[in-house]
Amino acid sequence: MTDDPIAAARADDRHTLTEAEGKRLLAGAGIETPPFAVCETAEEAVEAAEEIGYPVVLKVSSPSVTHKSEWGGGAGVTVGVTSAEGVRTAVERIFETATEQDIDADVLVEAAMDVDAGTEVIVGGLRDPSFGPVVLTGLGGVFTEVFEDTSHRIAPIDHAEARAAIEELQAAELLAGYRGSEPADIEALAEVVATVGDLVTDNPIAELDVNPVLVSADGAIALDALVVLDSDSAVDREGGTAAAEVDR
Amino acid sequence: MTLQQMFDPAAVAVVGASATEGKIGYEAMANAVEFDGPVYPVNPSGEGRLFGEAFVDSVTDIEDDVDLALCCVPGAATPEVIEECGAAGIGAAVIYAGGFAEAGEEGERLQEAVVAAADRHDVSLLGPNTSGFVVPERDLLCSFASGAEKLPAGNTAVIAQSGGVAHALAFQSRRQGRGVSAMVGLGNRANVGFTETIDYFDGDDRTDAIVLHVEGTDDGRGLLEACRASETPVVAYKVGQSDVGAFAESHTGALTGDHELYTAGFAQYGVPTVDATDDLLDAAAALADSPAPAGPNVGVVTAQAGPGIIISDRIQRGGGRLPELSSETQQRVDEILTGVTYTGNPVDTGRPMPAFGDVVTAVAEDDGVDIVLVYELYEQAMGFPVEALSGLAERVGKPILFSTDGIEEDMADDLSALADAGVPVFETPERAADAAAVLARYAGMAGPAAGQEVVADD
Repeated sequence: MTDDPIAAARADDRHTLTEAEGKRLLAGAGIETPPFAVCETAEEAVEAAEEIGYPVVLKVSSPSVTHKSEWGGGAGVTVGVTSAEGVRTAVERIFETATEQDIDADVLVEAAMDVDAGTEVIVGGLRDPSFGPVVLTGLGGVFTEVFEDTSHRIAPIDHAEARAAIEELQAAELLAGYRGSEPADIEALAEVVATVGDLVTDNPIAELDVNPVLVSADGAIALDALVVLDSDSAVDREGGTAAAEVDR
Repeated sequence: MTLQQMFDPAAVAVVGASATEGKIGYEAMANAVEFDGPVYPVNPSGEGRLFGEAFVDSVTDIEDDVDLALCCVPGAATPEVIEECGAAGIGAAVIYAGGFAEAGEEGERLQEAVVAAADRHDVSLLGPNTSGFVVPERDLLCSFASGAEKLPAGNTAVIAQSGGVAHALAFQSRRQGRGVSAMVGLGNRANVGFTETIDYFDGDDRTDAIVLHVEGTDDGRGLLEACRASETPVVAYKVGQSDVGAFAESHTGALTGDHELYTAGFAQYGVPTVDATDDLLDAAAALADSPAPAGPNVGVVTAQAGPGIIISDRIQRGGGRLPELSSETQQRVDEILTGVTYTGNPVDTGRPMPAFGDVVTAVAEDDGVDIVLVYELYEQAMGFPVEALSGLAERVGKPILFSTDGIEEDMADDLSALADAGVPVFETPERAADAAAVLARYAGMAGPAAGQEVVADD
């Protein structure tokens, strides 16, 4: 596997990065992600889970699957797996479903994060036809569509502008700590927002959804990443420094 | 491309000029001849003279350095006319006709043909599908609308995507006793759009503020970067918060973009936005006639509590702050006027009195105040504190806005004295408060915008 996830996807003539590729892209740009491994067999997955430490989350990893949690009647994502046996069961379900659907699939093994320990935020990047790269910040989780609590910026932006975008949110009060809860690390979130803006600016990315980013007192960590490449391959590849530097 | 030939021409040609009243070729000519330079009627079927000048068959027959052509011909004839203009060395043209990009595929092809002709000869095109532009100070009335000749000269440049909105804004500015340095309806923006006009009027000595009416543009980033590069303050009114997409497309051939992106982008690039035409002009008056505010802190002096409360409420909702006055200022106010109703902020004097101007001065000199807003109902015996207000804004380096009400005839002399002193005046407490809030928002944006100039050059 190449070090540059965007080049890898391009080489396969794909417009969508797998979650693992997306996370490598983020990690290479300095955004924290949970420890993870992409495995081709159940034994590899067990080994990875032992190394990462239980509990783990198991997810289908395939360019053919965009919406993992809706895939295969729930086979796509198994959370809170605490044993080698659990890993094997979940992995076999993924491979069986993939065989039924006649697609190639691997398994993503990832450290489970306690989502109750923080606030879920969406950070999105987009290449707008009239404004070019833009970055969006919003309250995540089930409330996203109800409250439509989002703020926009034209990318690239610096750290201070990213902070201002976060402070515009109604959810800023949640992040600042309420009823005695610890204030979230807004500096770390601002860094994610600014970095997503840079990634969309510097790479041929049509859309980049980091959903959710879990923000807590301990920092901001990207729990999922969806990257859709620009179908217009004329976008300047030389500007793609962030992608080229990806290396874990 | 410079727009010098468009907005500061030596001579003008009216192509399709007509002797028939009511025709666009007549109305445009009737307005154009107000210009203090030569204006030539062009029409192969025209005979004799029109407004004293002999008809010529083509712009190429004019033996003079014409800079600007006003095209009063049907859309289909426009590419050829632009071609001739180019051959004659005319560098700018206004195209009034519709039926171009806003009218479907065939219109798009016609517009492409016009742009191609213009590109060959480096001709700047205003329109098509516009009612044109007006530069009052030069009596340059390149609009076929009636009343264009009555627009007073002022220091705000109006740049509207719609010619109709451009005129509406210009007429409003006249009613408000302000006027415009220029009024421009962009129409379809074939090759002159927001970026080119913002750039031009930023360099125009007569212009101290630029206002934008925006429906939508496919070069949103270019628009924002032109705004940020402008040293002249810009205020924008972005229309289309709810879904008016299809109607707007039929209007100027542009899809309205994501409203939130525009609003966020304008703020990010140092441009306060408003939601109404009159707010746009009020904001421009506040910005054009005042020193740049250093911060969002508004000191309010009111002779009546009720309007003062409306103002206080509205400023804060609009993004301004009402800081406590310093104890020195409060003491000063107390000494000027013992038993004053309220000396926090606002300072409420109860009613205008001879020392009203001293109270305003004390608040203006408070270090915690960045912007001053004064409200008083007119009292004939008292008049306005013109002497105290005259030069005060420059001396303290802060915007000082004034708002009042009363009988127009009674106030007329005092109001014109305030106007002469360069004090922006607003007719209602709401409009004054909104203008102060725009200044407050502008102050908040100016800092970061200035720091990002490197990015604008990317």
